[in-house]
Amino acid sequence: MAEAQAFETDFWKDANLRKSWDEIVPGVPRKTIPYTLTKEAIELYCRSVGETHPVYFDEAFAKTTRYGGLIAPPSIHILLMFSCTPADDWMRSPGTVNAGQSWSYNIPARPGDVITLEARALDKFIKRERLFVVHDNVFFNAKGDVICSGRGWTIRPM
Amino acid sequence: MTTTFDSLSAGDAIDGPKFAVTRESIRLFCDASLDYNPLHLDDEYMKGSFGKTQFGGVIMHGMNNFGLISRMITDWAYPAGAIHRRLETRWVKPVKPGDLIQPTGIIKAKQSTAKSRWVLIDVVVKNQLGEKVATGEAMVEFPMDLFCL
Repeated sequence: MAEAQAFETDFWKDANLRKSWDEIVPGVPRKTIPYTLTKEAIELYCRSVGETHPVYFDEAFAKTTRYGGLIAPPSIHILLMFSCTPADDWMRSPGTVNAGQSWSYNIPARPGDVITLEARALDKFIKRERLFVVHDNVFFNAKGDVICSGRGWTIRPM
Repeated sequence: MTTTFDSLSAGDAIDGPKFAVTRESIRLFCDASLDYNPLHLDDEYMKGSFGKTQFGGVIMHGMNNFGLISRMITDWAYPAGAIHRRLETRWVKPVKPGDLIQPTGIIKAKQSTAKSRWVLIDVVVKNQLGEKVATGEAMVEFPMDLFCL
């Protein structure tokens, strides 16, 4: 698979290509794309949530830690969810409301990692007139090691 | 005082970072996460309703809460040689520009397993009015081979 093209920030542009709640079939894999995580992307993410720990920025310090080098914060999967999926992925449907997520962390992602995602809708249901989809996701590094795995609950646009 | 597994007790508190939410902080999170959902950008769009829900203006990403909670957990765990292993969260109230939010944690339980030691932490994010905007639970591992950062 090729790396992603320049990221489309207008989520309306491909809206008609994305699956609606009616069309989402639990169990069907989502299309994904490999993504090379960069030091710059990690630093930008860190800045957005105020992360300042040197294990994310200072190579010399990071080498002295159990990780032996720079790592990304565990919550970097927030970026990976969008960087590892194409523009027609239903997670980008305008009006998608995030209701909650749970994530388990195995090993850290690192700058230079080529990261892949296995993802699917796991369940869909209606509750208090809202349309829910549960999605599950596993991120891997190039060696096939699990970085993290997680599940999320979204309310789909009507 | 250095945090150790043995010194922790149920009820111990963890204070997270205060975070001032602005249009700029939300826009920065869009750029950092690549989540450009118009919920976070488009005032006109946000005048509408979303099924049973009306927000009345742009809202912060729920996952921004998640990132702040995770930051609190790692900043607490790293110096103790511990590892952030899990975080589960639920969003209970939208966060908007002008809000000042802060995550906190309370140690709920400790448990030893065959090969390691674990701490469960109740987490909450509150706004400047003391209202809960997110709740959840984190799990931190205190390995036998502690390696403090």
